[in-house]
Amino acid sequence: MSETIYLLYILSFVLGSILGLVMSYKKYKAPYAIGNVDILALISAVVGWFMVLNSILIPFIAPYITITIGVFLLALVLGMRPGYGRNETFIGIIIAGMIWIIRTVIL
Amino acid sequence: MANILLNVLIAFLMGSILFGLQRKIMARIQMRPGPPVIQHLLHTFKFFVKESSFPKTAAMPFYIAITAMLCVIWVSAVIVGPVTQGSLLLIFAIYALHKIVEHNAGSSSGSPYGKLSCVRAVFSAAAEVPLFAVLIIIYFKTGTMDLSQIIGFQTTNGPLIYSIPLAAAMFFVLILSKAPYSPFAITKGKDIISGYETEHFGLLRGYLMISESIAWYMLLWVFLTVFIGGLNPLMYLVGMVILSTVVAFINATTPILNPNHSIMMQASLALIGVVGSLILLL
Repeated sequence: MSETIYLLYILSFVLGSILGLVMSYKKYKAPYAIGNVDILALISAVVGWFMVLNSILIPFIAPYITITIGVFLLALVLGMRPGYGRNETFIGIIIAGMIWIIRTVIL
Repeated sequence: MANILLNVLIAFLMGSILFGLQRKIMARIQMRPGPPVIQHLLHTFKFFVKESSFPKTAAMPFYIAITAMLCVIWVSAVIVGPVTQGSLLLIFAIYALHKIVEHNAGSSSGSPYGKLSCVRAVFSAAAEVPLFAVLIIIYFKTGTMDLSQIIGFQTTNGPLIYSIPLAAAMFFVLILSKAPYSPFAITKGKDIISGYETEHFGLLRGYLMISESIAWYMLLWVFLTVFIGGLNPLMYLVGMVILSTVVAFINATTPILNPNHSIMMQASLALIGVVGSLILLL
Protein backbone atom coordinates (compact mmCIF):
# COMPACT_ATOMS: atom_id res chain seq x y z
CA MET A 1 0.00 0.00 0.00
CA SER A 2 2.73 2.48 0.95
CA GLU A 3 4.54 1.80 -2.35
CA THR A 4 1.36 2.60 -4.29
CA ILE A 5 1.11 5.92 -2.46
CA TYR A 6 4.75 6.73 -3.26
CA LEU A 7 4.12 5.92 -6.92
CA LEU A 8 1.19 8.35 -6.73
CA TYR A 9 3.53 11.06 -5.38
CA ILE A 10 6.10 10.37 -8.10
CA LEU A 11 3.45 10.51 -10.85
CA SER A 12 2.09 13.71 -9.35
CA PHE A 13 5.62 15.18 -9.40
CA VAL A 14 6.19 14.15 -13.02
CA LEU A 15 2.82 15.51 -14.22
CA GLY A 16 3.30 18.76 -12.30
CA SER A 17 6.80 19.21 -13.72
CA ILE A 18 5.68 18.59 -17.31
CA LEU A 19 2.74 20.99 -16.94
CA GLY A 20 4.97 23.61 -15.28
CA LEU A 21 7.51 23.30 -18.09
CA VAL A 22 4.91 23.64 -20.86
CA MET A 23 3.11 26.56 -19.18
CA SER A 24 6.32 28.47 -18.38
CA TYR A 25 7.55 28.14 -21.98
CA LYS A 26 4.23 29.64 -23.14
CA LYS A 27 4.31 32.40 -20.54
CA TYR A 28 7.97 33.48 -20.74
CA LYS A 29 9.90 34.13 -23.92
CA ALA A 30 13.18 35.39 -22.39
CA PRO A 31 15.72 32.60 -21.76
CA TYR A 32 16.55 33.65 -18.21
CA ALA A 33 14.89 35.84 -15.54
CA ILE A 34 16.93 37.51 -12.83
CA GLY A 35 15.32 38.74 -9.63
CA ASN A 36 11.68 38.68 -10.82
CA VAL A 37 9.05 36.88 -8.74
CA ASP A 38 5.97 35.40 -10.42
CA ILE A 39 3.09 35.84 -7.96
CA LEU A 40 1.10 32.84 -9.23
CA ALA A 41 4.17 30.61 -9.07
CA LEU A 42 4.94 31.93 -5.60
CA ILE A 43 1.43 31.07 -4.34
CA SER A 44 1.69 27.62 -5.94
CA ALA A 45 5.10 26.99 -4.33
CA VAL A 46 4.09 28.20 -0.87
CA VAL A 47 0.80 26.23 -0.87
CA GLY A 48 2.52 23.14 -2.34
CA TRP A 49 5.39 23.03 0.14
CA PHE A 50 3.00 23.82 3.00
CA MET A 51 0.73 20.91 2.03
CA VAL A 52 3.68 18.50 1.75
CA LEU A 53 5.42 19.43 4.99
CA ASN A 54 2.34 20.25 7.08
CA SER A 55 -0.34 17.88 5.77
CA ILE A 56 -1.26 17.07 9.37
CA LEU A 57 -2.63 20.62 9.79
CA ILE A 58 -5.40 19.83 7.29
CA PRO A 59 -7.25 17.11 9.24
CA PHE A 60 -10.38 16.90 7.08
CA ILE A 61 -8.45 15.50 4.08
CA ALA A 62 -6.49 12.23 4.10
CA PRO A 63 -2.70 13.05 4.30
CA TYR A 64 -1.84 11.17 1.10
CA ILE A 65 -4.33 13.29 -0.88
CA THR A 66 -2.96 16.52 0.62
CA ILE A 67 0.62 15.45 -0.12
CA THR A 68 -0.23 14.37 -3.69
CA ILE A 69 -1.81 17.78 -4.40
CA GLY A 70 1.09 19.53 -2.64
CA VAL A 71 3.69 17.63 -4.68
CA PHE A 72 1.81 18.55 -7.87
CA LEU A 73 1.77 22.26 -6.94
CA LEU A 74 5.43 22.42 -5.93
CA ALA A 75 6.44 20.48 -9.06
CA LEU A 76 4.59 23.07 -11.19
CA VAL A 77 7.10 25.67 -9.99
CA LEU A 78 10.15 23.41 -9.65
CA GLY A 79 9.61 22.15 -13.20
CA MET A 80 9.45 25.59 -14.82
CA ARG A 81 11.79 26.30 -17.72
CA PRO A 82 15.48 26.74 -16.80
CA GLY A 83 16.13 30.07 -15.11
CA TYR A 84 12.59 30.42 -13.73
CA GLY A 85 10.87 29.33 -10.50
CA ARG A 86 14.00 29.20 -8.35
CA ASN A 87 13.22 32.15 -6.07
CA GLU A 88 9.60 31.07 -5.68
CA THR A 89 10.67 27.56 -4.68
CA PHE A 90 13.12 28.85 -2.08
CA ILE A 91 10.49 31.17 -0.57
CA GLY A 92 8.01 28.27 -0.50
CA ILE A 93 10.48 25.96 1.26
CA ILE A 94 11.43 28.65 3.81
CA ILE A 95 7.79 29.52 4.71
CA ALA A 96 6.63 25.87 4.88
CA GLY A 97 9.82 24.93 6.74
CA MET A 98 9.31 27.67 9.32
CA ILE A 99 5.73 26.50 9.94
CA TRP A 100 7.02 22.92 10.28
CA ILE A 101 9.69 24.01 12.80
CA ILE A 102 7.15 26.07 14.80
CA ARG A 103 4.72 23.12 14.80
CA THR A 104 7.15 20.35 15.72
CA VAL A 105 9.98 22.01 17.66
CA ILE A 106 8.64 25.15 19.34
CA LEU A 107 5.00 24.16 20.13
CA MET B 1 2.74 -9.46 -10.66
CA ALA B 2 1.20 -6.13 -9.65
CA ASN B 3 3.95 -5.72 -7.06
CA ILE B 4 6.62 -6.27 -9.74
CA LEU B 5 5.01 -3.73 -12.08
CA LEU B 6 4.67 -1.24 -9.25
CA ASN B 7 8.33 -1.56 -8.24
CA VAL B 8 9.62 -1.45 -11.83
CA LEU B 9 7.60 1.71 -12.48
CA ILE B 10 8.91 3.33 -9.29
CA ALA B 11 12.48 2.29 -10.21
CA PHE B 12 12.20 3.73 -13.72
CA LEU B 13 10.60 7.03 -12.69
CA MET B 14 12.83 7.55 -9.66
CA GLY B 15 15.98 6.60 -11.59
CA SER B 16 15.09 9.08 -14.35
CA ILE B 17 14.30 11.90 -11.92
CA LEU B 18 17.55 11.25 -10.01
CA PHE B 19 19.53 11.41 -13.27
CA GLY B 20 17.78 14.71 -14.03
CA LEU B 21 18.54 16.02 -10.55
CA GLN B 22 22.17 15.05 -11.01
CA ARG B 23 22.40 17.03 -14.26
CA LYS B 24 20.69 20.02 -12.65
CA ILE B 25 23.10 20.07 -9.69
CA MET B 26 26.10 19.65 -11.99
CA ALA B 27 24.87 22.58 -14.08
CA ARG B 28 24.40 24.84 -11.05
CA ILE B 29 27.92 24.03 -9.83
CA GLN B 30 29.22 24.96 -13.28
CA MET B 31 27.23 28.26 -13.16
CA ARG B 32 24.70 27.17 -15.82
CA PRO B 33 20.88 27.15 -15.41
CA GLY B 34 20.83 23.48 -16.45
CA PRO B 35 17.96 21.40 -17.82
CA PRO B 36 14.70 20.77 -15.91
CA VAL B 37 14.83 17.96 -13.35
CA ILE B 38 12.59 15.76 -15.51
CA GLN B 39 14.78 16.23 -18.61
CA HIS B 40 16.11 12.66 -18.57
CA LEU B 41 12.57 11.29 -18.31
CA LEU B 42 11.35 13.49 -21.18
CA HIS B 43 14.39 12.40 -23.19
CA THR B 44 13.44 8.76 -22.67
CA PHE B 45 9.85 9.34 -23.75
CA LYS B 46 11.06 11.33 -26.75
CA PHE B 47 12.96 8.35 -28.13
CA PHE B 48 9.77 6.27 -28.17
CA VAL B 49 8.18 8.62 -30.73
CA LYS B 50 11.33 9.08 -32.81
CA GLU B 51 11.96 7.09 -35.97
CA SER B 52 13.92 3.89 -35.40
CA SER B 53 16.58 3.29 -38.04
CA PHE B 54 19.04 0.42 -38.24
CA PRO B 55 22.66 0.70 -39.44
CA LYS B 56 23.66 -1.49 -42.38
CA THR B 57 26.60 -2.75 -40.36
CA ALA B 58 24.37 -3.95 -37.45
CA ALA B 59 24.52 -7.63 -36.50
CA MET B 60 20.82 -8.57 -36.65
CA PRO B 61 18.89 -9.74 -34.67
CA PHE B 62 21.48 -9.38 -31.91
CA TYR B 63 21.53 -5.59 -32.32
CA ILE B 64 17.82 -5.41 -31.37
CA ALA B 65 17.80 -8.25 -28.83
CA ILE B 66 20.56 -6.65 -26.76
CA THR B 67 18.34 -3.70 -25.79
CA ALA B 68 15.61 -6.07 -24.59
CA MET B 69 18.22 -8.08 -22.69
CA LEU B 70 19.43 -5.00 -20.83
CA CYS B 71 15.83 -4.22 -19.86
CA VAL B 72 15.18 -7.81 -18.75
CA ILE B 73 18.26 -8.06 -16.53
CA TRP B 74 17.47 -4.84 -14.64
CA VAL B 75 13.79 -5.75 -14.27
CA SER B 76 15.11 -9.04 -12.83
CA ALA B 77 17.23 -6.99 -10.41
CA VAL B 78 14.08 -5.21 -9.21
CA ILE B 79 12.42 -8.60 -8.66
CA VAL B 80 15.43 -9.93 -6.74
CA GLY B 81 15.83 -6.69 -4.79
CA PRO B 82 12.82 -4.65 -3.62
CA VAL B 83 10.16 -7.25 -4.53
CA THR B 84 11.49 -10.51 -3.05
CA GLN B 85 14.61 -9.37 -1.14
CA GLY B 86 16.46 -12.38 -2.51
CA SER B 87 20.16 -13.15 -2.75
CA LEU B 88 22.88 -10.56 -3.14
CA LEU B 89 24.71 -13.08 -5.32
CA LEU B 90 21.97 -12.76 -7.94
CA ILE B 91 22.39 -8.98 -7.96
CA PHE B 92 26.13 -9.55 -8.46
CA ALA B 93 25.36 -11.89 -11.39
CA ILE B 94 23.01 -9.29 -12.88
CA TYR B 95 25.74 -6.66 -12.68
CA ALA B 96 28.21 -8.99 -14.38
CA LEU B 97 25.60 -9.59 -17.13
CA HIS B 98 25.19 -5.83 -17.46
CA LYS B 99 28.89 -5.55 -18.31
CA ILE B 100 28.50 -8.28 -20.95
CA VAL B 101 25.46 -6.53 -22.43
CA GLU B 102 27.38 -3.21 -22.51
CA HIS B 103 30.13 -5.01 -24.42
CA ASN B 104 27.73 -6.64 -26.88
CA ALA B 105 25.62 -3.52 -27.43
CA GLY B 106 28.79 -1.76 -28.55
CA SER B 107 29.98 -4.51 -30.86
CA SER B 108 26.57 -5.34 -32.40
CA SER B 109 26.15 -1.98 -34.15
CA GLY B 110 29.36 -2.19 -36.16
CA SER B 111 30.14 1.46 -35.39
CA PRO B 112 33.78 2.28 -34.52
CA TYR B 113 32.55 4.30 -31.51
CA GLY B 114 30.47 1.35 -30.33
CA LYS B 115 33.39 -1.01 -30.81
CA LEU B 116 35.72 1.21 -28.81
CA SER B 117 33.10 1.36 -26.05
CA CYS B 118 32.79 -2.44 -26.27
CA VAL B 119 36.53 -2.80 -25.67
CA ARG B 120 36.34 -0.34 -22.79
CA ALA B 121 33.42 -2.29 -21.27
CA VAL B 122 35.61 -5.40 -21.04
CA PHE B 123 38.48 -3.30 -19.77
CA SER B 124 36.32 -1.64 -17.08
CA ALA B 125 34.78 -4.98 -16.05
CA ALA B 126 38.25 -5.95 -14.85
CA ALA B 127 37.94 -3.23 -12.21
CA GLU B 128 34.19 -2.92 -11.62
CA VAL B 129 33.47 -6.60 -11.02
CA PRO B 130 36.18 -6.77 -8.28
CA LEU B 131 34.62 -3.62 -6.78
CA PHE B 132 31.24 -5.36 -6.68
CA ALA B 133 32.96 -8.41 -5.21
CA VAL B 134 33.73 -6.25 -2.18
CA LEU B 135 30.23 -7.32 -1.17
CA ILE B 136 31.77 -10.67 -0.20
CA ILE B 137 33.02 -8.81 2.87
CA ILE B 138 29.37 -8.62 3.86
CA TYR B 139 29.23 -12.41 3.87
CA PHE B 140 32.19 -12.58 6.24
CA LYS B 141 30.53 -10.03 8.50
CA THR B 142 26.91 -11.24 8.46
CA GLY B 143 27.28 -14.91 7.47
CA THR B 144 24.63 -14.57 4.77
CA MET B 145 24.13 -13.24 1.26
CA ASP B 146 20.36 -13.06 1.64
CA LEU B 147 19.09 -9.48 1.54
CA SER B 148 16.28 -10.02 4.05
CA GLN B 149 18.72 -11.62 6.51
CA ILE B 150 21.26 -8.81 5.99
CA ILE B 151 18.48 -6.32 6.83
CA GLY B 152 17.66 -8.41 9.93
CA PHE B 153 21.34 -8.44 10.94
CA GLN B 154 21.47 -4.66 10.76
CA THR B 155 18.28 -4.31 12.80
CA THR B 156 20.00 -6.04 15.72
CA ASN B 157 23.65 -4.97 15.17
CA GLY B 158 23.36 -1.52 13.59
CA PRO B 159 24.13 -0.39 10.02
CA LEU B 160 27.02 -2.14 8.28
CA ILE B 161 28.38 1.20 7.06
CA TYR B 162 29.85 1.69 10.57
CA SER B 163 31.43 -1.76 10.87
CA ILE B 164 32.71 -2.17 7.27
CA PRO B 165 33.06 1.42 6.00
CA LEU B 166 35.72 0.55 3.42
CA ALA B 167 33.38 -1.92 1.72
CA ALA B 168 30.72 0.83 1.59
CA ALA B 169 33.25 3.26 0.13
CA MET B 170 34.22 0.73 -2.55
CA PHE B 171 30.61 0.13 -3.47
CA PHE B 172 30.16 3.89 -3.73
CA VAL B 173 33.04 4.00 -6.24
CA LEU B 174 31.16 1.38 -8.26
CA ILE B 175 28.00 3.51 -8.17
CA LEU B 176 30.07 6.49 -9.25
CA SER B 177 31.42 4.59 -12.23
CA LYS B 178 27.85 3.98 -13.50
CA ALA B 179 26.88 7.66 -13.33
CA PRO B 180 26.90 9.65 -16.57
CA TYR B 181 29.77 12.20 -16.79
CA SER B 182 31.62 10.48 -13.94
CA PRO B 183 35.44 10.28 -13.96
CA PHE B 184 35.13 6.48 -14.39
CA ALA B 185 32.42 6.48 -17.12
CA ILE B 186 34.86 5.43 -19.83
CA THR B 187 32.31 3.32 -21.76
CA LYS B 188 30.31 6.46 -22.47
CA GLY B 189 33.10 9.02 -22.61
CA LYS B 190 32.35 11.98 -24.87
CA ASP B 191 35.43 11.14 -26.94
CA ILE B 192 33.44 8.17 -28.28
CA ILE B 193 30.14 10.15 -28.70
CA SER B 194 27.65 8.06 -26.65
CA GLY B 195 29.75 4.90 -26.44
CA TYR B 196 27.84 1.67 -26.93
CA GLU B 197 24.59 3.62 -27.40
CA THR B 198 25.87 5.73 -30.30
CA GLU B 199 24.22 3.68 -33.05
CA HIS B 200 21.01 2.79 -31.21
CA PHE B 201 18.21 5.10 -32.32
CA GLY B 202 14.52 5.65 -31.57
CA LEU B 203 12.74 2.89 -29.71
CA LEU B 204 15.93 0.92 -29.05
CA ARG B 205 17.58 3.93 -27.42
CA GLY B 206 14.43 4.43 -25.34
CA TYR B 207 14.75 0.88 -23.99
CA LEU B 208 18.44 1.45 -23.20
CA MET B 209 17.57 4.64 -21.30
CA ILE B 210 14.80 2.90 -19.32
CA SER B 211 17.28 0.19 -18.35
CA GLU B 212 19.88 2.74 -17.26
CA SER B 213 17.37 4.54 -15.06
CA ILE B 214 16.34 1.26 -13.41
CA ALA B 215 20.02 0.31 -13.02
CA TRP B 216 20.79 3.60 -11.27
CA TYR B 217 17.85 3.17 -8.88
CA MET B 218 18.84 -0.43 -8.16
CA LEU B 219 22.50 0.36 -7.42
CA LEU B 220 21.44 3.06 -4.96
CA TRP B 221 18.83 0.71 -3.48
CA VAL B 222 21.43 -2.03 -2.96
CA PHE B 223 23.83 0.43 -1.33
CA LEU B 224 21.21 1.76 1.08
CA THR B 225 19.77 -1.68 1.88
CA VAL B 226 23.09 -3.42 2.38
CA PHE B 227 24.95 -0.70 4.27
CA ILE B 228 22.20 1.23 6.07
CA GLY B 229 19.47 -1.41 6.45
CA GLY B 230 15.79 -1.77 5.58
CA LEU B 231 14.34 1.72 5.24
CA ASN B 232 10.85 3.04 4.60
CA PRO B 233 10.18 4.46 1.10
CA LEU B 234 10.66 8.05 2.28
CA MET B 235 14.10 7.30 3.75
CA TYR B 236 15.08 5.44 0.57
CA LEU B 237 14.10 8.57 -1.35
CA VAL B 238 16.13 10.82 0.95
CA GLY B 239 19.13 8.45 0.79
CA MET B 240 19.00 8.26 -3.00
CA VAL B 241 18.77 12.05 -3.34
CA ILE B 242 21.79 12.48 -1.01
CA LEU B 243 23.87 9.88 -2.89
CA SER B 244 22.93 11.38 -6.27
CA THR B 245 23.84 14.86 -5.01
CA VAL B 246 27.27 13.68 -3.81
CA VAL B 247 27.84 11.95 -7.17
CA ALA B 248 26.78 15.15 -8.99
CA PHE B 249 29.33 17.19 -7.01
CA ILE B 250 32.10 14.72 -7.89
CA ASN B 251 31.10 14.59 -11.56
CA ALA B 252 30.83 18.36 -11.89
CA THR B 253 34.31 18.97 -10.55
CA THR B 254 36.25 16.01 -11.96
CA PRO B 255 37.19 15.40 -15.61
CA ILE B 256 36.74 11.95 -17.15
CA LEU B 257 39.86 9.88 -16.66
CA ASN B 258 41.92 8.23 -19.33
CA PRO B 259 40.74 4.54 -19.54
CA ASN B 260 44.08 3.24 -18.20
CA HIS B 261 44.02 5.61 -15.26
CA SER B 262 40.35 4.90 -14.57
CA ILE B 263 40.91 1.13 -14.39
CA MET B 264 44.07 1.41 -12.34
CA MET B 265 42.40 3.75 -9.86
CA GLN B 266 39.32 1.51 -9.53
CA ALA B 267 41.42 -1.65 -9.21
CA SER B 268 43.63 0.02 -6.57
CA LEU B 269 40.56 1.16 -4.62
CA ALA B 270 39.10 -2.37 -4.85
CA LEU B 271 42.36 -3.83 -3.49
CA ILE B 272 42.45 -1.30 -0.63
CA GLY B 273 38.78 -2.03 0.09
CA VAL B 274 39.14 -5.80 0.24
CA VAL B 275 42.43 -5.91 2.16
CA GLY B 276 41.43 -3.06 4.49
CA SER B 277 38.03 -4.58 5.24
CA LEU B 278 39.58 -7.99 5.94
CA ILE B 279 42.05 -6.37 8.35
CA LEU B 280 39.18 -4.52 10.07
CA LEU B 281 37.26 -7.80 10.39
CA LEU B 282 40.17 -9.63 12.06
